[in-house]
Amino acid sequence: MSVVEAVSAQSTASENLTGEAYRNAMHRWLHANLPASFRSDSAAFAPPTLQQSVAWEAAMYRAGLTGITWPKAYGGHGRSLREHLIANQEIGRLAMPESVNSIGKELAGPIILAVGTEEQKRRFLPAILEMRNIWCQGFSEPEAGSDLAGLRTRATRDGDGWRINGQKIWTSGAYRSQRCLVLARTGALEDRHRGLAMFAVPLDAEGVRVRTIKSIDGRESFCEVFFDEVEVAQQDAIGAPDEGWAAAIRVLEIERATNRMYRAWRFENELRHLISSCKADPALSAMVADRHYAVRLGEVAVEIEVLKAHVETAVEALVKGDKIGARGSLAKLYWSESHQRFAALALELLSQASLPQKAAITVARRRFEAIYLQARAETIYAGTTEIQLGIIADRILQLSRGK
Amino acid sequence: MSMAEGLQPDEFAATAARAVTACAGLDARAQAQNLAGDGLLGVIADEQVGGLALPLGFAVPVIAAAHSGLLTFPLLETILVARSFQSSLTRLAAAIVSGKTLATIGWRGEAVAAREGGLLVLSGTVARAPCAACADYILVRMSGGAAALVPIDADGVVVEEAAGLDLTVPEHTVRLEKVEVSVGSILPAGTWDPLNSDANVLRAAAILGSAEACLALAQEHASTRRQFGHALSYNQAIRHALARQKLGLESIRHAITRSLSEGGGPLQRDAAFLAAVTYGSSISEGALQIHGGMGFTWDVPVHRHLRRIRTLQAQGDASGLISTLGRRYVSEVAPFAEAGT
Repeated sequence: MSVVEAVSAQSTASENLTGEAYRNAMHRWLHANLPASFRSDSAAFAPPTLQQSVAWEAAMYRAGLTGITWPKAYGGHGRSLREHLIANQEIGRLAMPESVNSIGKELAGPIILAVGTEEQKRRFLPAILEMRNIWCQGFSEPEAGSDLAGLRTRATRDGDGWRINGQKIWTSGAYRSQRCLVLARTGALEDRHRGLAMFAVPLDAEGVRVRTIKSIDGRESFCEVFFDEVEVAQQDAIGAPDEGWAAAIRVLEIERATNRMYRAWRFENELRHLISSCKADPALSAMVADRHYAVRLGEVAVEIEVLKAHVETAVEALVKGDKIGARGSLAKLYWSESHQRFAALALELLSQASLPQKAAITVARRRFEAIYLQARAETIYAGTTEIQLGIIADRILQLSRGK
Repeated sequence: MSMAEGLQPDEFAATAARAVTACAGLDARAQAQNLAGDGLLGVIADEQVGGLALPLGFAVPVIAAAHSGLLTFPLLETILVARSFQSSLTRLAAAIVSGKTLATIGWRGEAVAAREGGLLVLSGTVARAPCAACADYILVRMSGGAAALVPIDADGVVVEEAAGLDLTVPEHTVRLEKVEVSVGSILPAGTWDPLNSDANVLRAAAILGSAEACLALAQEHASTRRQFGHALSYNQAIRHALARQKLGLESIRHAITRSLSEGGGPLQRDAAFLAAVTYGSSISEGALQIHGGMGFTWDVPVHRHLRRIRTLQAQGDASGLISTLGRRYVSEVAPFAEAGT
């Protein structure tokens, strides 16, 4: 029985579960199956290898925890966005590793669902969910970071297919990916957003070169990707030139509001972990009971509740058929900045721990020092804070730019 | 079929806005008659006292519209007192819902009660009571979280003007010097906290209304005021400041919605109020800044909203609340043990 068949069988077995029964089933599975070594709030934590992550995420998929809203015809579970939220709340409540294929599941997949051909949906989507194909995102370029419309990577017609030349940068996880969702220019640079097309470029194609970049957390997770006369078949072009980008923008708007929907619940897990660690330390246990830090921790708790409100409101709006439009920028701006404030508070508290250092503090420092550094990127990727503010000003407030 | 079926809270916003406009320039009693005529004083009170028997969520757009329109009437307090006594003092509650009797609440301080025969004798000082000077009754907190409804004209009640930012809905301090009240005027122990929790949601709604008005004023000014040959909104600094205000505004709105949803409990209600205080203050102060010197004038109404938001912050004791919330949150987390144990 193939993986897709196994998942289909499981979906049939659990498809009658709704609401709290569905939540309980997801909760039980996660608690029974997540290895302690994957939990960053555990002394046994050891960052999973790529192979372990792939196996874990494939198991999550089989358990019904990824591909939740994707149609069953393409390997998904065919459930509602509300159930997607429930599953993500349970995922967020555990300190588990981030997906190594979030680009596949939350960007490439939804774009293919929206504008891909039937053949592409059947070829790409199950492979993403089964973790046979990891994807990366080839949008940013050295001269086109926030200003994507200025990108220069060129796709030219070559017989029945395409030939791609150019360079991408800040491509997270390219070294471990099989496919890159490449945004390339088919028209002139002056055309800006017109004349842009998307391609699912296989990273083992001749002419593709990947170079890792060491980031501030010491990891080499993002990359430069060079395309030198790379031949891409027409069947790997996603959407029609000119049309693909517009459709992708619509998908991106939804994704900005809904991707990694578990964030608020993960932040809550982090807050509770921080407090529990402090309460295991003589000096810190007194500090967190004191008004000063109680207020500051309370402020973090309030921000987490507000973030949950942003997420749940967006889900309800989408379920009712409302257009999400640029509202995803509000949630993105909110979570990225509030998480940075929280991470800084965590470092501040943990730096005042008693000596000799308790085991709980060792675990917490390892986790929160990594979170602090990684959070610096959160106001940069997926549209910087300044880009989000611009979107809110332009498209939500519709402020005049006129003279 | 209950009254709530087929109705949506937002449908009340337009009615409330019209009623608020009609109240301009009227004294408190005339305003009460106007608001009662539109069913707004009894929006959450039982039908037996003339109310609409709707859930608290229906009071949210009413209160938001009242504060957006700078209503000079203690609507939040009136709505809550009417509901609080709908079972025990039915006729009085009906008089409040009909606008004939005016009531307010002293949000800070509490009275100490002593029993004398069949009566209770209250002593103490309560403060932050909006419009107490023109009210007929004031609800005061008692020890143990009970509450008492006290006639303002009773012997021993002294209403004093108090310094406060909100000049159009002035707050008063009320001294109770051995004031006799009937046992029927008492709400039992444990009443105050849920009442104040509902008040926090409505305070958040009030701040939402004011913040919406401030952002609209700031946006209008930024779009029409020209400096250096451009509208102010041409400048990125102004655009980004307004965008942050919009983020704050939507954060208040969503937090209120969540606090009233199925999963909304005390934490979510407190969070809605605290978020409203934080973002509402920032939005109103930011709107004042965007208006430049004009923002510091009496005629531009931003300062009136700012005054109200800061007053609501004090009435809900936001400083004490965030401290309590943080301490409670910390106390509920167990010391670190290995994950899964």
